[in-house]
Amino acid sequence: MTAPGESKGGRALAALAEIARDSVRPPSPAELDSGLDGVRARLYADQAKRAVRPTSGAALRWSLVGALAATAALVIIVATRSGAPPSPGSAAPPALAYRIEGGTVVEGGYLRESGHAGIKLFFTEGTEFILMPGTRSRLRTVDASGARIAIEHGTASFQVTPTPAGNRRWQVDVGPFLVTVKGTVFTVSWDAATEKFELRLRHGRVTVNGPVSGGEIALQAGQRLLVDLHRGETVINDQTPEEWAEAAAGPAPRASAGPVRKVDTDRQWAQALAAGHLDRILAEAERAGLKATLERASSEDLLALADAARYRRRMDLARDTLLAQRRRFPDSPRALDAAFLLGRVEEASDSGLARALEWYDDYLKRAPKGTYASEALGRKMTLMSKLEGVSRARPVAEEYLRRFPNGTYAGPARAFVRAP
Amino acid sequence: MSTRRTQIPVSLVVAPDPRDASDADLAQALAAKSPWAITETWHRFAPAVITLGRRTLGSESEAEDIAQEVFHRVFTKANTLRAPERLRSFIFSFALRVLRTELRRRKARAWLSFQRPETLVDLGAELTDIESRDLLRRFYVLLDRLAPRHRLVFVLRHLESMTVEEAAARMDLSISTVKRLLTRATDKLSQWIEADPDLVGFLDEKGWRP
Repeated sequence: MTAPGESKGGRALAALAEIARDSVRPPSPAELDSGLDGVRARLYADQAKRAVRPTSGAALRWSLVGALAATAALVIIVATRSGAPPSPGSAAPPALAYRIEGGTVVEGGYLRESGHAGIKLFFTEGTEFILMPGTRSRLRTVDASGARIAIEHGTASFQVTPTPAGNRRWQVDVGPFLVTVKGTVFTVSWDAATEKFELRLRHGRVTVNGPVSGGEIALQAGQRLLVDLHRGETVINDQTPEEWAEAAAGPAPRASAGPVRKVDTDRQWAQALAAGHLDRILAEAERAGLKATLERASSEDLLALADAARYRRRMDLARDTLLAQRRRFPDSPRALDAAFLLGRVEEASDSGLARALEWYDDYLKRAPKGTYASEALGRKMTLMSKLEGVSRARPVAEEYLRRFPNGTYAGPARAFVRAP
Repeated sequence: MSTRRTQIPVSLVVAPDPRDASDADLAQALAAKSPWAITETWHRFAPAVITLGRRTLGSESEAEDIAQEVFHRVFTKANTLRAPERLRSFIFSFALRVLRTELRRRKARAWLSFQRPETLVDLGAELTDIESRDLLRRFYVLLDRLAPRHRLVFVLRHLESMTVEEAAARMDLSISTVKRLLTRATDKLSQWIEADPDLVGFLDEKGWRP
């Protein structure tokens, strides 16, 4: 009576509950330490609040001592945890606070995306960081003097609000480059697989330091910097407003007064996907015309459309959408992801297994440390055993175990290695 | 080089390990505001409270906030615990109360904004299989539709693997009430899943059977 029943829905519910039960991991020692610090800070704050209430005599003196100790402890905790230098005094700007949409900060300051819509950081004084879906990034410091964020792979837009005194420093580590900004709107991307760096500056001024000859590079509004470390090329050119608009496809910065072409980004399919509205996405695409949608939709919307089509088993549409992603946005991280996802699409039919294998190979070649590298290698191993036999899959299994000893496919990989 | 030895007999006294303290001793130490008791209580019970929060809310980050809230209340109200040996129940009753408040707050927010807020599921980060992550998210979207009490009972029974009797004790409800809430929650979830043939078919196709 209390167990999920024998109906189809009941069996599916039991399976879902099992997935949910197994997906929860216990907190790590670092998470526990951090949580205990948080509780202690709240207890100290309580003590401090109680201590400043007016009392009399000895009680007052002891309360003040307690309050001072508590306040000192709080200051130490905050300073230690944020890595912030001590406040320079009354000239210092007020402390920065921020909120995150679409993700969370996890151990080591890494930003973990909770959906497919990217992550947005909003700072209290108006600065915004918008990280495109799939971008791997780390919030290194946030303190009264500014913030520093590292983009390890992917694309991000920044709209930095200048302070009147110019006393805030915003820095972005992009792969091996360091971008220092003051009151600027720009988009930056780094592809770790191809070692390509790109910065498009719309307003303001930035300086870029990195492994390029000639030292620091200063960019003016409207300029675009392209560095291809692999080829040793550095190119700075002027960009038209149209080019800027194309670069900003996806969550664009606030509109400016400039003559910017309207970008087709108002579908918000990533949000619809996160909310499970798959049919709505497909219906809207059909209403607008599939061909036109594939030609005009933003990279983010194409990804959401491909996911919706895959989940609804419309593999032809999923394939066309992923191919459009690769054709229209060939240098974006999503084009790489599309290669892996095309493998998944092809695997849905027996006649597509060989093509799936080619896609996984392509993905692993271009992004050996990419988001889906473990999954792609695991799928490659499985497909090779199906198509060419266990003996051909064994070297892939060995590679898998070497690189991902605790990965999802570690069990089958061990079986392939042990097989006669 | 010679060393002069004392003739006074000495004995080695080993400080008691806080981990050996019983729950009752721990509760009394908390009430007496012994600093070691806070650390020991956190390390003894926080893992279970955080895991319960993660399973209930589907979010690691929200579960951390909930755990801090729960233990802040426990530490500030430890002197109100009349039966020290019931420290574990005391903590979990706070945890369920805070979780229920959070679930009600979510419902109210959805009602006030006239739209269902996005269900943020940040569990299963180690799941590399994108289909599993999607299923997980869809499961929590369904849980969001349940009333807070139904959801908590379902989580305790089917995600925390408690018996009906244990769930009743944790929630301070009668066994018959828990059974009634559980049946209602299970029936509703099953119906909603059956209304989504793609979901059922997908689980069947993938061989995800309990």
